[in-house]
Amino acid sequence: MVGLPYDFLTNPLGAVRQTFEKSVASSPTDVDPAAIFRGKDWGAVDLFHDFLFVKGGLAQVPSIDASSMRWLQPNTLVRFRGMVQDMLGNELYVGAFKDGSSWRTNKFSDFCPIQLPPACETQLWERQLFHCVPVPGQNSWVTETKSIPSTQNVSSSASQHEGKRGRGSEDEDMNLNEESDNGDLISSPNAKKQKEHENTCSSSCLSDDLMDHGNDSGLGSGDSNNPTCLVKIYDLPESHLKLNDVFEFIGIYTFDPVLAVHKDDSDDPMFELFEDPTVDLPPSKVPRLHCLICRKLDTQDFLSNSLVFESLSTVVRGIRESLLSHLTAILGNDELAAQYLLLHFLSRVRAQVEVMSVGKLSLNLTGFTKESASIFGHQLTGVIQKLLPFTQDITLTLDYLNTATLQPRRNNKTGRLVAGVLQLAQGTHLTINETCMQSGTLSSNGIENARLLKNLLELQKVEYDFEYYKLEMAADVQLLILSEAKSSILPADLVLPFSPGSVPATNATSEDLQAWRWYLATMRSLPCSIEPEMNLTLQDEMVASMQEDKSLGCAELNRWLTMTELISASFGEKNLSLEHWQMIKELERLRKDRLKEKAR
Amino acid sequence: MASSDFSPSGASSPDGRSSPIANTNSSPALGPAGRSSRRRRRTPSTTPSPSPGALLTPSATPSASGPPSSTPSSLRRRWTRRHPATPSTPMSADENLPPSSDAGDDDAVDHDDADSAPVFVWGTNISVQDVNAAILRFLRHFRDPREASRGNGLLDDGKYMRSVHRIMELEGGESLDIDAHDVFDYDPDLYTKMVRYPLEVLAIFDIVVMDLVARIDPLFEKHIQTRIYNLKSSVCMRNLNPSDIEKMVSVKGMIIRCSSVIPDVKEATFRCLVCGHYSDPILVDRGRINEPTRCVRQECLAMNSMTLVHNRCRFADKQIIKLQETPDEIPEGGTPHTVSILMHDKLVDSGKPGDRVEITGIYRAMSVRVGQTQRTVKSTFKTYIDCLHIKKTDKSRLLLSDQMDCDNSTTNKTVEDENADYRDKIDKIKELSKLPDIYDRLTRSLAPNIWELDDVKRGLLCQLFGGNALKLDSGASFRGDINILLVGDPGTSKSQLLQYMHQLSPRGIYTSGRGSSAVGLTAYVSKDPETGETVLESGALVLSDRGICCIDEFDKMSENARSMLHEVMEQQTVSIAKAGIIASLNARTSVLACANPSESRYNPQLSVIDNIHLPPTLLSRFDLIYLILDKADEQTDRRLAKHMVALHFADPETQVQEFIDLPTLVAYISYARKHIHPQISDEAAEELTRRYVEMRKRGNAPGSRKKVITATARQIESLIRLGEALARMRFSEWVEVQDIAESFRLLEVALQQSATDHSTGTIDMDLIMTGISASERIRRENLVAAMRNLVMEKLQIGGHSARLVELLEEVNKQSSMEVHLNDVRTALATLATEGVVLLHGDNVKRI
Repeated sequence: MVGLPYDFLTNPLGAVRQTFEKSVASSPTDVDPAAIFRGKDWGAVDLFHDFLFVKGGLAQVPSIDASSMRWLQPNTLVRFRGMVQDMLGNELYVGAFKDGSSWRTNKFSDFCPIQLPPACETQLWERQLFHCVPVPGQNSWVTETKSIPSTQNVSSSASQHEGKRGRGSEDEDMNLNEESDNGDLISSPNAKKQKEHENTCSSSCLSDDLMDHGNDSGLGSGDSNNPTCLVKIYDLPESHLKLNDVFEFIGIYTFDPVLAVHKDDSDDPMFELFEDPTVDLPPSKVPRLHCLICRKLDTQDFLSNSLVFESLSTVVRGIRESLLSHLTAILGNDELAAQYLLLHFLSRVRAQVEVMSVGKLSLNLTGFTKESASIFGHQLTGVIQKLLPFTQDITLTLDYLNTATLQPRRNNKTGRLVAGVLQLAQGTHLTINETCMQSGTLSSNGIENARLLKNLLELQKVEYDFEYYKLEMAADVQLLILSEAKSSILPADLVLPFSPGSVPATNATSEDLQAWRWYLATMRSLPCSIEPEMNLTLQDEMVASMQEDKSLGCAELNRWLTMTELISASFGEKNLSLEHWQMIKELERLRKDRLKEKAR
Repeated sequence: MASSDFSPSGASSPDGRSSPIANTNSSPALGPAGRSSRRRRRTPSTTPSPSPGALLTPSATPSASGPPSSTPSSLRRRWTRRHPATPSTPMSADENLPPSSDAGDDDAVDHDDADSAPVFVWGTNISVQDVNAAILRFLRHFRDPREASRGNGLLDDGKYMRSVHRIMELEGGESLDIDAHDVFDYDPDLYTKMVRYPLEVLAIFDIVVMDLVARIDPLFEKHIQTRIYNLKSSVCMRNLNPSDIEKMVSVKGMIIRCSSVIPDVKEATFRCLVCGHYSDPILVDRGRINEPTRCVRQECLAMNSMTLVHNRCRFADKQIIKLQETPDEIPEGGTPHTVSILMHDKLVDSGKPGDRVEITGIYRAMSVRVGQTQRTVKSTFKTYIDCLHIKKTDKSRLLLSDQMDCDNSTTNKTVEDENADYRDKIDKIKELSKLPDIYDRLTRSLAPNIWELDDVKRGLLCQLFGGNALKLDSGASFRGDINILLVGDPGTSKSQLLQYMHQLSPRGIYTSGRGSSAVGLTAYVSKDPETGETVLESGALVLSDRGICCIDEFDKMSENARSMLHEVMEQQTVSIAKAGIIASLNARTSVLACANPSESRYNPQLSVIDNIHLPPTLLSRFDLIYLILDKADEQTDRRLAKHMVALHFADPETQVQEFIDLPTLVAYISYARKHIHPQISDEAAEELTRRYVEMRKRGNAPGSRKKVITATARQIESLIRLGEALARMRFSEWVEVQDIAESFRLLEVALQQSATDHSTGTIDMDLIMTGISASERIRRENLVAAMRNLVMEKLQIGGHSARLVELLEEVNKQSSMEVHLNDVRTALATLATEGVVLLHGDNVKRI
């Protein structure tokens, strides 16, 4: 394969075009060659697939981030990991045109390679536009595991930049990690606060910007360092990508200075409405990516590949024990809380049945004061950040409720979806610290925000505002609430009085952390099933429990079942067993005892 | 059609040369230029071109290619020959066009002059003459089958001929609305052509119409535009794709933005600043006006002296609106799509943001220019729909029930023109109603996620369907609305039921008792701060007239607010007498309320009245009162357990129930409410009487000393309403015996729960009516008698007074039952009114 006239990395378009011309040439002459390739692949994607996944070319593909943006060359192969933040609809483009007697294609590019000859024959094709942002609340260890070394393999044209930049970015990254590691371990409330502040600020600024019809707004929430990306998707059924899905896109990066100076000051009012939403996303800030291959990412995909554990039950049990003891230490020797926390970490929405979300398990740890929240709370959020890929935390105050923009809202002037704080990727962990809440008056915005939070908590749904109507989007967010007493604004599935016995202590090596991350990500995605006999036994058990305690209702049983599933998952088992059910009953008994104790 | 048929000159793809012009939105460029100028020619002076400019016609589809200029030209020629008077404006755009890429076409036209030769729409095998004839046939001979069936269709003109006449008489309406279904019914071939080649066929349509008009009245000058609506199929906005370009499409959506009205210059006049000479009107050429650089007057010839005279220019209105998908078309996890719609002339401002509309138009694309100054054309296109017709669709889900008010005026066009979609739906609904298990099926489909509570659901169903309101000649009226109260333990999904009902009901309003004030529920008068006018503002109950007003947390409502409900719930009006306004507003509302027991959990030892602190007067106005209690019962527990496990592990066993989906259910209910008005059959009436008497008797069982009222006149009204609702569910015009039986059952189930006297176990209407059960009353009477004896025994007239506590002790000694101090006090109070004793604080004195 020496004589390839194109290079997959530096000239992917060459591959696209050559395969196209080859396919056109080989197609029967009596049909319109361009028409048959509309909305279809002619083998180019297969070629890339082969190159990336079979030949292992994936590692060489640079990913778009703040640092690589500076040296990335247009029309090269890049990749981008992000969340679908907004769908900008379809775009029609000249997919194929006849240059003289031969057909050429424009697929995967913004421009015609040559000036279109006047009055030439063209074919209109369509592609979908998505605005993708780095996943909100993505933790630093997620990016750390991405293959930075791959930059070394990038083409010669980029090498001049690469020397400096590559190293620089690596150093930066390492610093960042160290810092965050230390910071989290020794619990630095200042850093934490700042971060929170940044978070809230960036989101509110963001909305302001968009309202002002700012030019460079809408660059997404979360990590302001990493660029957002306008991804153009070809030939995929629309339902393939959903809002808030996390995807990896591999495709062609395009940048054209002609487009960059776009922004015409048209006085024609026609443009006001024909204007497409991409105007707000200047190519200089928001790179364009013509997607060749995309794949949906699971939490597992964010783990470093170096460490793969075997899902042997002994290994799993070992990791479970070490994680539990770590959590117990963090929580000041409160083992019950650690147990519940573990279950909470493993929860995910398995199904949305009518109004019920099956599988969610939100946890409300009560008994925090402002002081203990600053000690344990920060420890806890620190650990969560290190264990789970996407985490956010909110310090709930009256002011925050009244001013923050939690609800994602479509701005019909710009046609863009303005991300609210609650536009979160599936599987995000959200910690809400309620200890700083004061009494006072809620504005209408505050009431709306409280309602949104409550809906998210109870139904795992977030309402998106499309001005003339609201749409409910399914969410999958793990919610942990730290409060003084049982939170009534945020009614969680589980309320557990937190009773620490000692000051938090932590000792976790990076191997431990990696093992735990792997454990949580893997066990969380385990399917759960039930044997028919177990099904009946479980029903009997439930009836017996109900006879025993008349106050048991749907909610409790539902929760118990969820917890049973989770605890069996925590042991790496796919089938429910009676033993797990008993464990849950025991846990619940302990919890009830503690609740009673607190009430006394 | 293979694309190789294209001749290079006919294709109108964006090319470097013409791009700056082609991109301006009003430019009739290249191929399309011929088209729009042609349309303009047909529309002399009155209506400017409906074609939206910048018609870059990509040649993706054969149909998209520019039509041969031969077609329009020859048509024009024929037309002008026939009506030489009409084209008042010299608008032969072709002459003005500098030789461009379609100059060749013009030449071709000149050669192709013979009218007899078949003329084809360019790039197709559609013969212009054929289409012309087909349209003429359609316009002349199409008769509405519905009218024809009435028998008067023979002599009359066809449907559209009448429309044409009407337009001409009125001299106002300048558009002829044509139902595409009619076209399809009459000539499917014409319909197909019209949808595939709308520009060409519509042009011919317009010509034919003008032809007709001119034949009727040669002096009629206004241009009549054909507007097609109600296509056979409408496209989902997100499914519009390149193959739809240049085709006629119809999309439904909601207007979210409207641009300001854009004046679009059609022709401009210039004046020389030096000599004041006015130039001839200059026509728009490919979206721009070529400003003369020098005065044409031979005496002047001043350079750069021409200035635009605005009030001598001719403008056309143009507006762009944005249409957004309605929620029902958005797949899960998607955001709504939008599409731009270009409106012209009369259509401008015909929709407002927030309107739900159905747009019929032509889907078009135009190329994107990179910058105003740049010649480069991006390879992308912007798409929009050139609007031909806009129809506002229903705003509420229950349009049908809204028509209840106006259904006598069926000549009303909207009712008649209900599309086939609707007819299909009706058929489906009727089919459904014939199912033997429809009642159960409906019950199952009502809030399927809410578990058990089947009888409550049946009651709620009755409420949704409602009974017949009756107005007697004497002026007395009987409400048809059924009021329901749900009382129950917390966490028994009452609120969910309410929410569900709110969604289903036509004009449902959902309020919470805690946050509702009396005026908020009924109506209030306020003064406009600016004008000082008094304004009557409707509250929830008035707003939900003919709907269901759901009131959550009924018990938390203030006393005052509740008292307002008395009138609403029986008289169905809200009366206002305040600030100079005396009004009585209709509030024909079914009230669905739910309340929590006052001690948060229902205490079975107490009566309903004691459990919920509601006045009996109000309580009696509810037809059905359901107690939803968490009952411990192994059977239910088992089912619940099974349900829960199935929820988690998708057990195939329990998933086989059939539900009616929400839209169908809504349609079903509204159809029934609108069309079915059941009467009580004789047998049913007999049954009703028999059962009612039986029910009354039950309290008077022989041997029973006390007289318990188990049914009152209010119940018989409720029973009739329930029966009617049940008949409606079956789409039956007669209330049958079975309905009566079921309504008795429903009432009894509800009564058993709410009106059972716990000390005796019998149903006692007094509980609801007065709040005191008969057994309680007897107990009190006994106590009074005992007290009287005691007083007679112990106290002398005018003698010492006794303390209450002493008496209590005495009574307790004698009586087998425990008697409380309060009971003694009330008993003594009764005696005091009889004049037997005097009460002074705690002291009792015999008189």
